[in-house]
Amino acid sequence: MISRRLRYELAGRAVGPLLAALRRRRGTSRLAARDDGPFGPPLESTRRLKELMGIYYYQGRFADGAVPVAWVTSGFPVEILRAHGFYCVYPENHAALCAARRLGPQLSEVAEAAGYSRDLCAYARMDIGSVLSGDTPVGRIPKPDLVAACSNICQTVVYWFRAVADHLGVPFVLVDTPFVYGDFQPHGLAFVAEQLEELAQTAARIARRPAREVDIERVVELAWRASQEWGACLEEGRHRPSPWTAFDHFIHMAPIVALRGTQGCLDYYRELHAELSERVRGGIGGVVPERHRLLWDNIAIWYRLRDLSRLFADDGFAFVCATYSSAWAQSWDGFDPAHRVHSTAAMLSGVLLNRDLANRLALMKGLVRDFSVDGVVLHSDRSCKPYSVGQYDLKDALQRELGVRVVVLEADHADSRAYSAEQIETRAHAFMESF
Amino acid sequence: MNRLQVIHAHRSRGHKVLAVLPIHYPKEILTAFDILAVELWGPPGPPRGPDAGRIQSSVCAIVRNALAFISAGGVDAVDGLLFPHTCDSIQGLATVVRDFGSWSGPVFQFIHARGEDRPSARRFVEAELKSLAAELATFTGRSLDGERLRDAIRIHRNIDRLRATLLDQRSRLAMTDPELYRLLRQGEFLWPADHLAELEAAAAGLAPAPVQQGLPLLVSGIVPEPMSVLDALAGAGAWIAADDYAAVGRRVTRHHPTSLDDPFATLVDLYFAAPPCPTRQSNQTARADRLEQLLDASGALGALLHTVKFCEPELFDLPVLRRRLLERGVPVLQLETELERELSGQAVTRIEAFVEMLGAIAARGAR
Repeated sequence: MISRRLRYELAGRAVGPLLAALRRRRGTSRLAARDDGPFGPPLESTRRLKELMGIYYYQGRFADGAVPVAWVTSGFPVEILRAHGFYCVYPENHAALCAARRLGPQLSEVAEAAGYSRDLCAYARMDIGSVLSGDTPVGRIPKPDLVAACSNICQTVVYWFRAVADHLGVPFVLVDTPFVYGDFQPHGLAFVAEQLEELAQTAARIARRPAREVDIERVVELAWRASQEWGACLEEGRHRPSPWTAFDHFIHMAPIVALRGTQGCLDYYRELHAELSERVRGGIGGVVPERHRLLWDNIAIWYRLRDLSRLFADDGFAFVCATYSSAWAQSWDGFDPAHRVHSTAAMLSGVLLNRDLANRLALMKGLVRDFSVDGVVLHSDRSCKPYSVGQYDLKDALQRELGVRVVVLEADHADSRAYSAEQIETRAHAFMESF
Repeated sequence: MNRLQVIHAHRSRGHKVLAVLPIHYPKEILTAFDILAVELWGPPGPPRGPDAGRIQSSVCAIVRNALAFISAGGVDAVDGLLFPHTCDSIQGLATVVRDFGSWSGPVFQFIHARGEDRPSARRFVEAELKSLAAELATFTGRSLDGERLRDAIRIHRNIDRLRATLLDQRSRLAMTDPELYRLLRQGEFLWPADHLAELEAAAAGLAPAPVQQGLPLLVSGIVPEPMSVLDALAGAGAWIAADDYAAVGRRVTRHHPTSLDDPFATLVDLYFAAPPCPTRQSNQTARADRLEQLLDASGALGALLHTVKFCEPELFDLPVLRRRLLERGVPVLQLETELERELSGQAVTRIEAFVEMLGAIAARGAR
């Protein structure tokens, strides 16, 4: 146990950073060249992002047996687990990484052969496929001591994570966030708050120690500050030209999803924010020239980020904001450290996908107004029902009430078999020509 | 009487009617307010209006058809809508209907507590039941009378008891599956006392000894639609000996609390005593255990896992259920049907082949 712990600490504090430094010196961590397209210079922070995420995944290889390990959903109150010393794995983040590396069909087929329908969420199929086959592009994923889901992003994660927990024979814990129609219901918030207390007890039992209050406060503070920094980074997109695009958000949001509550995450977003501010001062845009400004709705199409980015940028269309990337900033709005448990319950319950479409429409209208958006692209995501149901009504409402142009692109966030390049390009071109 | 006649008859007595989306909801509270619940399972068949296209075709047809039906005025005969928070798609439908003008009348929600039976979940369910009751009190202009709620619980307890009897003693019931399921599904729109009378009449016809001929089967799924599945099974020589449809057997609570002192506490107990269902508390192991109990009690020779396309809660359970049944040596037919279409000839052939195989296995066993 002691030697495992030592190996884990060394991996995170010495070997991982050393390997990253070596890669940097050898130049193997070069930034993707974007000078062949209508883009601004690549963000320098991308190098740091790769190192941060690389160290995170590298350290994870040595986590099981050294520290308690939890697999958690992206909307989970991970701060409680971190304060108990857990190493946290994000299967959604891992699935997105697999999808970006074009491993979606391969991993999905493993799950489908085991009986999981192709009509289920591709993240779930890919994660289950990875669990069943052991295949992963990050070397090794540590086996969990706990599988933990929060229903605030969808109910799919409840079924998916339970299936994984059952398969691996480890405890499953759920934080259930009752859906919010209109205003928060006091009994809904009370239920979530009670579950946070239950979670702390479960975490203490598995970690074999209760968390110190000071640790909880520190982790929550770090998560809150990081969320604010992430929000500040997104806000830079209000400038014209926007110093970065939503396709950049999708890459740079990895730490706010997977490393929330760590010092590294906060430091990273401070660095990124500084760079974005500098680009704003220098008038450097993410797309050159920026002729039209767009809003992206729904999860990214991970395996086509570069193609889609290019498709729109070629005609001067820049995605300056996205409901998806905004979710990790907005959820902390209204957080009050003086009422930590209650406001965490409200924060968890108030995420975009746990609220009604009236709330989503108001958010989108705010983004259109605040970011001076000319058009909206709604990714109708075959895999994600809660994000996609209602999009045709949102389209009509945005067109009618704001006069912006809106297009719906049918695809899937991770399963490339559900992507028709020709159809997408035809629709995208028709949309752009309408401006 | 058909649904519309039942609705008009109920309203003519000065009472309210709610259209209720699937699946689980506290019907006792509605009954206590004299509210008739008329369930809206789509309806099945082709969409009855153009608005199905407002929701993606990769979403369950119950939701798409319901939106088309509601938007086309199909529920204009009722006074309000109730959406249990069954799945992401029905929850999405609830907000589409409410926020985008498909329906101008009152809309109610009933939100489930996911996860295990635990004190926090019990407190939430009790508060949610009381919250719904308070909304319905405003809706009807009446306060909830505790004794009326107790009476409603008693009526539904009797309905559960009779439904359990008919399902558990199926072999002694001289009805075909289509006849039995039509009777059981009358409960989706009849006033409970009327449904109870029908069930009592059916139970009175139970024979002293088994009368069913053919091969006994277990079925599990969401809803027996298209109903021609039942005809196909009967035509192939099988009958349903054990039922785990969410619309039928999974709604029959067999362990009723005896105390009615605090009716809301009783409703909470009932909620958590209900058979495992992924749309309520997701627990695949508990569900697989229950299927094994049903197999033991019914003597079913095989299992039909019947899914409605795009039903995510059900689809996640299938691999585990299938594995557990096959490990036990129970032959399994997995059949996916679409709510909008009749059963295909291909599906009928699969059912026939499956029943034929069961017949061959049974014959070998008998030899």
